[in-house]
Amino acid sequence: MAPSQLKQLKASLHENRILGPQQSKKQKRANAKSGANRQNRIQRNAALQGIRERFNPFEIKAPVKSVKFGVATSSKAIRDRDYVRPGVTKSLGEERRRATLLKELHSRSKVGGILDRRFGENDPTMTPEEKAAERFARESQKRFRKEALFNLEDEEEDIQLTHMGQSISFGGDTNDDFREDDISGSDDDMFQNTQSSERKRSFIDEGGMGGVGDEDEEEHPERKKTKAEVMKELIAKSKFYKHERQKAKEDDEDLRAELDKELPSLFEVVQGASLPVKQGPLLGDSEKVEIPDNARKDSKAADREYDQRLKQMTFEKRSKPTDRIKTEEEKAEEEAERLKTLEMARLRRMRGEEGNLEDEEVRANQSDSELMPDDAKVFGLSQPSNIHLELGAEDEDDFVIDESLVETDSDASLSFIQNDWGEISEARSESEEEEDQMMNGLTFPVDGTREVLSAPTRGFESENGNLAFTYICPETHQHFLDIIKKIQTEDLPAVIQRIRALHHPRLHSDNKWKLARFSAVLVEHVSYMANQSERPSFTILENILRHIHSLAKNYPENVATAFRAHLRCIATERPLKFLPGDLVILTGVLTIFPTSDHFHTVTTPANLCLARYLGQSTIDSLTDLAIGAYIANLCIQYQVLAKRFIPEFMNYCLNALHMLCPVEIKEVHGFLPLRKPTRSLRLHCLKHTTYRRIQFWDILETELSPSSAEELKLSLICMFISLIDFAADLWSTKSAFKEMFDAAHNTLLRLSNSYREDISPHLQNQTKACVIKLERLFSQARTSRRPLALHNHRPLAIKTFVPKFEENFNPDRHYDPNQERAELNRLKAEHKRERKGAMRELRKDANFIAREALKEKKERDVAYEKKFKRIIADIQGEEGREANSYKREQKKRQGIR
Amino acid sequence: MSALTGGAQGSKKRKKDANGTIDTTSLPSKRLAVEQDATATIQKLEDQIVESRKFYNNIATLLSMLNARTSKDEPNLTVAVALCRIFCRLIAGGDLKEQSRATEQEKIIVAWLKERCQEYQRALLDVIRQAEASFKVTALHLSMRLANARAAHLPGSETHVWLTGLFKGVFEALIEAREGESLRSEFVEQYLREYEDIRYYTFMQITVYAAERRNPEILERLIFIISQCDVVPQPEHEFTKSYVKLEKKDRNPLLSVGAHKKRAQEAWLAILKNELSDPQRKQLLRMMSHTIVPWFNRPELLMDFLTDSYNSGGSTSLLALSGLFYLIQEKNLDYPQFYPKLYSLLDADLLHSKHRSRFFRLMETFLASTHLPATLVASFIKRLSRLALNAPPTAIVAIVPFIYNLLKSHPTCTFMIHRAIHDKDWIAELEMEGMDDPFDPNEQDPTLTNAIESSLWEIEALQSHYHPNVAAIARIISEQFTKQAYNLEDFLDYTYQGMLIAELGVEERPFKKAPVIEFQIPKRIFTDRLLEEDRGEDTAPGSMLRQLWDFST
Repeated sequence: MAPSQLKQLKASLHENRILGPQQSKKQKRANAKSGANRQNRIQRNAALQGIRERFNPFEIKAPVKSVKFGVATSSKAIRDRDYVRPGVTKSLGEERRRATLLKELHSRSKVGGILDRRFGENDPTMTPEEKAAERFARESQKRFRKEALFNLEDEEEDIQLTHMGQSISFGGDTNDDFREDDISGSDDDMFQNTQSSERKRSFIDEGGMGGVGDEDEEEHPERKKTKAEVMKELIAKSKFYKHERQKAKEDDEDLRAELDKELPSLFEVVQGASLPVKQGPLLGDSEKVEIPDNARKDSKAADREYDQRLKQMTFEKRSKPTDRIKTEEEKAEEEAERLKTLEMARLRRMRGEEGNLEDEEVRANQSDSELMPDDAKVFGLSQPSNIHLELGAEDEDDFVIDESLVETDSDASLSFIQNDWGEISEARSESEEEEDQMMNGLTFPVDGTREVLSAPTRGFESENGNLAFTYICPETHQHFLDIIKKIQTEDLPAVIQRIRALHHPRLHSDNKWKLARFSAVLVEHVSYMANQSERPSFTILENILRHIHSLAKNYPENVATAFRAHLRCIATERPLKFLPGDLVILTGVLTIFPTSDHFHTVTTPANLCLARYLGQSTIDSLTDLAIGAYIANLCIQYQVLAKRFIPEFMNYCLNALHMLCPVEIKEVHGFLPLRKPTRSLRLHCLKHTTYRRIQFWDILETELSPSSAEELKLSLICMFISLIDFAADLWSTKSAFKEMFDAAHNTLLRLSNSYREDISPHLQNQTKACVIKLERLFSQARTSRRPLALHNHRPLAIKTFVPKFEENFNPDRHYDPNQERAELNRLKAEHKRERKGAMRELRKDANFIAREALKEKKERDVAYEKKFKRIIADIQGEEGREANSYKREQKKRQGIR
Repeated sequence: MSALTGGAQGSKKRKKDANGTIDTTSLPSKRLAVEQDATATIQKLEDQIVESRKFYNNIATLLSMLNARTSKDEPNLTVAVALCRIFCRLIAGGDLKEQSRATEQEKIIVAWLKERCQEYQRALLDVIRQAEASFKVTALHLSMRLANARAAHLPGSETHVWLTGLFKGVFEALIEAREGESLRSEFVEQYLREYEDIRYYTFMQITVYAAERRNPEILERLIFIISQCDVVPQPEHEFTKSYVKLEKKDRNPLLSVGAHKKRAQEAWLAILKNELSDPQRKQLLRMMSHTIVPWFNRPELLMDFLTDSYNSGGSTSLLALSGLFYLIQEKNLDYPQFYPKLYSLLDADLLHSKHRSRFFRLMETFLASTHLPATLVASFIKRLSRLALNAPPTAIVAIVPFIYNLLKSHPTCTFMIHRAIHDKDWIAELEMEGMDDPFDPNEQDPTLTNAIESSLWEIEALQSHYHPNVAAIARIISEQFTKQAYNLEDFLDYTYQGMLIAELGVEERPFKKAPVIEFQIPKRIFTDRLLEEDRGEDTAPGSMLRQLWDFST
C-alpha cells in the first residue's frame, strides 16, 4: 500500500533536493559568487513545478473513453489525448489575452502611442550583448537572402551598422534613420494587431518591413524621388507621347486630304486612256509632295528598284513542262475510275451505310428526350401528331464531279466565256458532242451564244428569228407563264436555255439565286404543261426535265424542295387521283434523283406516294388501270438497282389481272387481298383484238369505243404480265421468292386457262412464257433455300467493372472520386473547424473581458469605499472636533458664569 | 306579344314560346286578330270549365276543336294545351276518380270524363304519330304531363299508366312515328336521360316491344333509344331524379339498382335476340364493352349473341372477339374453337381492314399467355409473316414487333429465325435440292400447320422493303434480342398519310445536307432520242418504261 500523500510529498521533495540539510554561510556566499545560486533556484523551481503537477490529479484531463486497441494504433493524436492539461492551456490563453486583449482594452478609445519595435527590446531574457548580436545577425541575414538571388555584381558590403540611430558607414552619407516605410509598416502592424487578437507579430515580418526600405535606398542612391515626383514625371511623359501621336495622325490626315483632292484627275487618267494608267503612278503624287527632288534620293530609289527587280527575277517561276496531253486510253481510264467511285458512293447510300448511323442516333436521342419512350420512334416512325422532318443523310459528291467535268472539257483553256459555256451546258462526261447537240440542235450554234454573252444588247439573227434573246429570269411560275405567253411550245427549250445562259452565275452574283428560283419554277412548269389539255410533246417535257436535272446539279436544295412541295401537294390533295403532271414529275424523280438510295429526301416520299396509290386506289375504269400500270411501272423502275420489295406492286398487278381476266378466277389465292371493281372490266376476247403498245395519253381516254377498249384491256393484260415478269427477275434472289410469286403463278395459270382459242397469240405466248419463267425461278429458289440462321451473333458479354483498389487505404480519409466534391468537403470541414475555434476564442475573450471588467469595477468600488470612509471619517473628525469645541465653549461660558 | 295577351294567358304563352310552335309575331295583323279571337274563345271555355261542372260540355267542344277545326297534320295546339291543363286540374281535383259513395249521376259524369280523357289521349298519340315534327314534340310533352298527373293522383293506376296505359301508347307512337328523329332525341334528352323512372319504364316497354319480330328500321330506332342509356347506376346509387314523386317504401323496384339493371338486361336481350341486320350487329358489338355489358348482371347471357357473331366470320367476328374473350376469361365460358377461329380470322383482308389495330391489340392479349403450345404460336407467327408479304407498310410496322414479342415470350419458336443444322444427311439433302416451306398454309388447325419447322423467310425478305423505316423494323429479327419487348401500341395506328407527312413535313425546312442528285443526266427519258448512238440498246434508267409505253403523241 502506498504511503499517504503527505509522506509521498515529503519523499519527493527530498528526492529533488529541495528539502535538505541547511547550507553553511560559507557555502552560501560561494554559491552566490559563482552564480550557482541562481542556477539552483531555477532548478528548484522546475522541480517544484514537476512535483506540483504530479500531485495535482485535476490538472490532467483523463480521456473520455479509454483507447481501444491502444497498442495497435500508432496514431500520435490518440496517444496524446492522455496528456491534455486544461489548466495549462487555460492559463496560457489567459496570459496571451492579458498580453494582447487587455492591452487593447486599455488602449481603447485612445489615440497614438509609441511602439518599441527594436529587436528584443521587450524580451527580458536577453542580455544587451545578445540583443546586439541578434540584431547584427538579422541585418546580415536579410541582406544576404534578399539580394543574393539576383545580385550579379557583388559591389559592396551592405551591412550597415548603426549607432544611436546614426549610420556607422564610412562613406559619409548621412542616412536618416527615420523612414516613412517604417512608420507605415508599424502602423500597419498596429492595425493588424487590432484586427486579430490571435495574430502575433513575428520578427521575420518586422525584418521584412525594414528590408524594403533599405532596398529603396540602394536603387536611388543620389536622391530618393518621392512618389509624387515619380508620378509627375510619368504623367509628363505620357502627355508627350500622346502629343506626338496626335501630331503624326494630323500629318496623315493632311496627306490623305491632298490625295483625295487629286482623285478626280486620277479617274480622268484611268478613263481617258488605258496606257497612261500604267504610267500615271498612284503613289507618285504623294511621294512628290513628301520627298523633294533630290539626286541622292533618286539614286537610292533606283538602287532599290534594282534590288526589287533582282529579287523578283530570282523568285520568278521557272518555266516548267506543261501537263502532257492525255491519251484516249488514259482518259477512258480516268473516266472509268470516276464512275467507279460514284458507283461505290451510290452503293453505300443504297445500303444506307453512311450518315444513317448518325441519323439513327439523332432519332434515338429524340426518343430519349421524350417523356414517354416510344419504341417506334427508334425506327423513325412517328405519328402525324408529332411530325418531325427527316432530312437527308447522304454524302455529297456533286460539286467535285462538276469541277472535274469542267476540267475534262477540251476547250477549257480557251476563254472565260467558253469555259463558262462548258459549265452551263453541264458537260456530260461521256459525250461532249451530245451535250452540244442538246444545246445547239434546238437553238443556235455555240458561237452565237458567245456573241450573245459578250454583247448582250446586240441583236442576233437565227433560224427562229422571232425569238428574243434576252429574257428576265422568272421568279414565280406565274411570271414564267407571262414570259412564255406568246412563245410556241416548240421554242420553249430554246427560251429556257437562253435564260440559263443569260443568267449564268459567273455573270452576276445575283444570278445564282435567280437560277435557283428558276429551277423550282421549271419543276412547277413541267407538271403544269403535262396537265394542259393540248398534251405537249414528250420531247419538250424530256428536254425540260433534262434542264432541271442539269440545274439540280448546281442547286440541289431548290430542286429537291420543289419536288418535295409537289409530292406534298399530291399527298394532301389527290393521293389516289393522279394527274398526268404528277406522273411526269414522278418520272422526273426517277431520272434526277438516285432512286436506289436507302433513304433520300425526295425518292423515299415519292416511293411512298406511288405505293400508296397502288395500295389504296379504287379501280373503276380502264383509265384507272392505265394510270395504275404506269405507276406500277415507275415503282418497279425505281427499284431496278436496289431491288427492294414492294408488296403493293404485287397486289395491284394481280388484282388488275383478276379484273381483266375473261372469266372470274374463283380460287382464292392465299394471302392476296382482292378488290372488286364497281363495274366489270373483263376482257371479251374479240377475234380481231390485237396487242398494241399503250400510249401515255391512254390514262386520260375516258370515251373509248368497245373495240378500242378491248384492245386497251388486252394490252393492259400484256403490260401487267410483263411487269410481273420483270419483277420476278428483279426479286428472284429474295429468300421468300416462292411466297411472293405464288399468287402470281396461280393467277397466270388460271388466266392462260381462261383464254379462248382465238385470242391474240401474243398474249398467249407471253402468259405461257411468264408461267414457265416463274416455274423455273421457283425451282431455283427451292434449291437455294436454306433454313434461316440469323442469329450467329457472338453472345453478348455481361458488362464488367474492374474494382479500383486504393493503396495505403486509411479509413479516416475520404476517398471521393469526384475531385471537386472532395475539395469542397475539405473546405467545408475546415470552415466548420475554424468557425468552432473562432467561436470558442470569442467566448473566452468575452469571458476574459467580463472578468477584467468585474475586477476593475471591484477595484473602483474598493477605492470608492475607501474614499467614502475617509471622507466620512474626516467629517466625523471635524464634527467631533466641532462638538468638542462647542462643549469647550459651553464649559467656558458656564465657567464664565 | 306581351302587350296583346293578358296576364291570365301568361303561362300558356310561355308554353307556346317554349315549344316554339306558333310564331305570332310573323303573322299579319289581320290573322293575328283572328288568332287572338280564337285564343280568347278557348280561354273563355277553359275558364268556364274551371268555374263550374255544368260547363263540362265545353270539353267536348274543345275536343272537337282540336280534331275538327283543322286537318290532322295541323292540330290546334292551343286547344291541346288548354285541354291538357283542364284534365290535369280535373285529375288533381279527383274528378276522374270513382268514389264508392257517389251518386249515379256523378258516376255517369266520371265515366263520361274518363271517356273524354281517353279520347284526348288518342288524339295526342295520333298527333305524335303523324303530325309535323314540332307538333309531335308538343304532343309528347303534353302526354307526358298527363301521364304524370294520372300516375300521381290516381292511386293504383300508377303501374297501369306506365306499363299498359298511356305511356305504352306514347312509347309505341314514339317508335313508330314517321320522321321522328328529332322527336326521339327530344324524348331522350328531356325524359330518358333526365328521369330514372322513365328510363326504367322505357326498358320495360322495349322488352315488351322487341319481343316480337320487328323490321330493321324499327330495331334501329330501338337501338338508338336504348343505346342512349349509357350511364349505368353504381351499386350504391341513390335514385333521386324521378319524374313522378316516388314513394319511399321498401321494395320499391324503382329504388333498387338491381331492378333497374334487370330491366335493362331484359331489354337488351330482347333486342339482341331479334333479327338484326349485319351493320346493326356490328354497331352493337362495337358498343358492347362500354354500353351494353355494364348493364348486365349476368354477362354470360350475352354468350349466344357473341358466339353467333363470332361464327359469322369477317369483321363481325373481329368485333365479337373482345366480348367473347371477356366471357372466357371471367365467366368460364367454354369455347374450344377459340384459337382455331382466331387463326382463321387472319386472312388476306385483315391487314387492310380498319379494325387492324383493334385486332392486334386483342391478339396481343390472347397470345400473351406463355402456356400456349409453341406450335400454335408458331402458326400465328408464320401466318402473320405470310400476310406481311402482301401487307401495306403500316401493317408490317405492327407485325414485326408483334412477332418479336411472341418470339421473345416463346423461345421455342426462335427456331423459326435460327436453325442450326447438325444432321449430316439433311445438310447433304439441302445442298442437293434445297427445301420447300414445311408450313401448310391451308391447314385450318393452328396446331397442325407444321409452322415451327419453317423459317421466317418472308420477314427476311421484307428487310429489303422499299421504305427504309419498315426495312429497319424488319431487321430487328436478325439482330440480338436484347430488348425485353416492344410496346406494340407505338406501332399501331399508322397510316399512309401519316407516314408521308412524317417524311415530307407540313412545310419545307432547310436541308441539313444537300440532297444527292443522280450524277448522270440521261440521254432519254420518254423518247428514243439518240438511240442509234448506243447501238439501239437502251440501257439508261427507265428503259422498261420506254419499252412498254408509247410516248410518241
